[in-house]
Amino acid sequence: MEKSAENKIIEDLLPQKFGKQGTIWVISLLAVCALGFYAYCRQLYYGLEVTALRDYASWGIYISNFVFFVAISLVGSLITAVLRLTDVHWSTPLTRIAEIIAVSAISFAGLIIIVDMGRPDRFYNLFTHGRLQSPIIWDVIVITTYLFISLLLLYFPLLPDLKIMIGFKERNGKYLQKLYEFLGSFWKNKPEQFKITDKAINILSVTIIPVAFAIHTVTSWLFATTYRPGWDSTNFGAYFISGAFLVGAGGVLIAMYVFRTHYKLEKYITDEHFNKMGKIVVLLALVYLYFNINEFLVPAFKMKKAEEEHLMGLFTGEFSPIFWFAISASMLVPILILIFKKGRTPKWAFFAGILVVVGSWFKRFLIVTPTLLHPFLPMHDVPKNYMHYFPTWEEWAIAGGSLAGALLVITFFARIFPIVPIHETIIETDSHEKA
Amino acid sequence: MRKHKLIQLLVLVIALVPSILMAQAVEKNSLSLTLKYYNDNNVTHHLLVLAKSKIDGKFQTVPNIPVEFYITSDADKANLIGKGKTDDRGQAVIEIPPTAKVEWLKSPNQNFVVVGAATKKFDEGRGELAITKAKIKVDTADGRIVNAKVVALVDTTWTPIAAVDVIVGVRRLGGILNVNETQTYPTDSSGGVTAEYKRDSLPGDQKGNITLVASVVDNETYGNLSSELVVPWGTKSVYMTNFDHRTLFARRGYSPLWLEILAYSIVVAVWSVIIFLLVQIKNLKKLGVE
Repeated sequence: MEKSAENKIIEDLLPQKFGKQGTIWVISLLAVCALGFYAYCRQLYYGLEVTALRDYASWGIYISNFVFFVAISLVGSLITAVLRLTDVHWSTPLTRIAEIIAVSAISFAGLIIIVDMGRPDRFYNLFTHGRLQSPIIWDVIVITTYLFISLLLLYFPLLPDLKIMIGFKERNGKYLQKLYEFLGSFWKNKPEQFKITDKAINILSVTIIPVAFAIHTVTSWLFATTYRPGWDSTNFGAYFISGAFLVGAGGVLIAMYVFRTHYKLEKYITDEHFNKMGKIVVLLALVYLYFNINEFLVPAFKMKKAEEEHLMGLFTGEFSPIFWFAISASMLVPILILIFKKGRTPKWAFFAGILVVVGSWFKRFLIVTPTLLHPFLPMHDVPKNYMHYFPTWEEWAIAGGSLAGALLVITFFARIFPIVPIHETIIETDSHEKA
Repeated sequence: MRKHKLIQLLVLVIALVPSILMAQAVEKNSLSLTLKYYNDNNVTHHLLVLAKSKIDGKFQTVPNIPVEFYITSDADKANLIGKGKTDDRGQAVIEIPPTAKVEWLKSPNQNFVVVGAATKKFDEGRGELAITKAKIKVDTADGRIVNAKVVALVDTTWTPIAAVDVIVGVRRLGGILNVNETQTYPTDSSGGVTAEYKRDSLPGDQKGNITLVASVVDNETYGNLSSELVVPWGTKSVYMTNFDHRTLFARRGYSPLWLEILAYSIVVAVWSVIIFLLVQIKNLKKLGVE
């Protein structure tokens, strides 16, 4: 490859400073985070009383958010590991986007669990008094493991890019230069080093798939190991994993569009990427739809007394607007958009991605909360407000703050590191030219 | 003038309405107090009062009525043997105190009086009871036979009493389970009853002990008498617990071995890979320095 072409790629893909839009975006996110932090301080001071969580709905939008974060984090293994191991090269520009979404989401999944605790100062009890038999402990173990693997999978492919960025000392500024040198000054582009990183990435790609499956299966078991209407299912592991892949792929569609338009990466994140990701989203939405039909149609066909109230609440009752919105937005409409080639253009795919992500968030809420409002043994003489759940402004602010925080991590990562791998793009462009 | 009189009449009615309503509000229900006597195992004696009143056409128990118990039929302060307040079931209980001994020993017959204080809703109530002092004894004979004997105090002698219904059973969950299908036995001329114990597989305590009970219930003359005897006729109960067993629902540190092996193997395997990769980063650094 000619040096000028290589330089052009580097120039295009180097991280860029926030423009006007970027600054407004960051300030907005920081404002949402600050409001969330204020709400959390109130929660710490007054206790969970400031939330709408009561003896019935003890899990509300915090746990919905947790399940959502865990779900979206699965995209790291889909794009990076599954597509890499199946020798799919078109996904190369998307790998880092997928990995940073995974790292950011899984970090906030861990944080939101602490937020859900009335006494976060007792978090250490999970380790000192935790029972190995409990899926909660498995979740703690598997989330920590997945975070480490995702960080490594983010770090190893970044090393050659760090070497490139260290070469732009003046552009980087003092602090970024120090950071790059701290992280990758030892990288000398030696063949032995490439050999080690290639091997490490392959090992990580193999390892992350079972861990990713485990993280979401275990999260599903938090519910499925409890005998309650709506959770008592043997299908939950597969149902959660398919849903997680879908929301993750939807998230990537959004990120692809935003980075492509904001950083002008049309040459690297092409229409073809949207076309292919769109097809993947259709496939995943169909699979998830299949599991949803299984999850709701079979119990509805039997309509056991204990399940009836829960199911009717979803189909025609209190939660029906959210239920039908979630089903339509996360599956039906995206399928209808993306199944056609015209729908797999960047703008439509972006729109479909937003629908998938928003619909999936509400789907997580429907998995968590309505079941809690319909226990097998209703409590005697509970206040009427215990039987309904609508989050307080503190809950919305904290949940919104965590979502903004996750976006902020992705935003700052894209400001500091190349969001499309520079070295891999050069190698692939070179091999294309040679071919 | 006529109009003026009408206004005066109206004012008078308005003035009288509250007092009429008040008069209705202070109308009280009468209180019925039923007094019962209990001889517990020939050791202690207690009195129970049940407060009832006819409310909405039905007899209902009345809680929170202060009651005073007197020995003899004279509700004099000198004869007061205890105070109480009826509970949610309309009952109040006192043990006959040792201070009543002098009065108790005076005669083979004994009178008691209970007085329920007047409250906002109820009039004062009074209940009386006259009993003849009696006791019941329970014993066993070979072949798991239960014998019971009822005697009453006549002058100064304990005399057997005939034709008194006796329940012979086993103390079970706060009640009495009959020793066989016969509900009650009338005492013969010697004051005795004999019952065959047929509850072979009844669980007892760790030694197989069960408690036999012979009792006379709500007898008009003698009140309630009961006597107990512990016998090893039950099956031995062995306390079983799986508290220390390794199960999925056990406490911390008692998870099943298969789960521990599986979980720790997975954790060790995955984290070995992570550690291996961290070592690879160290190797990369070494290569960069060389």
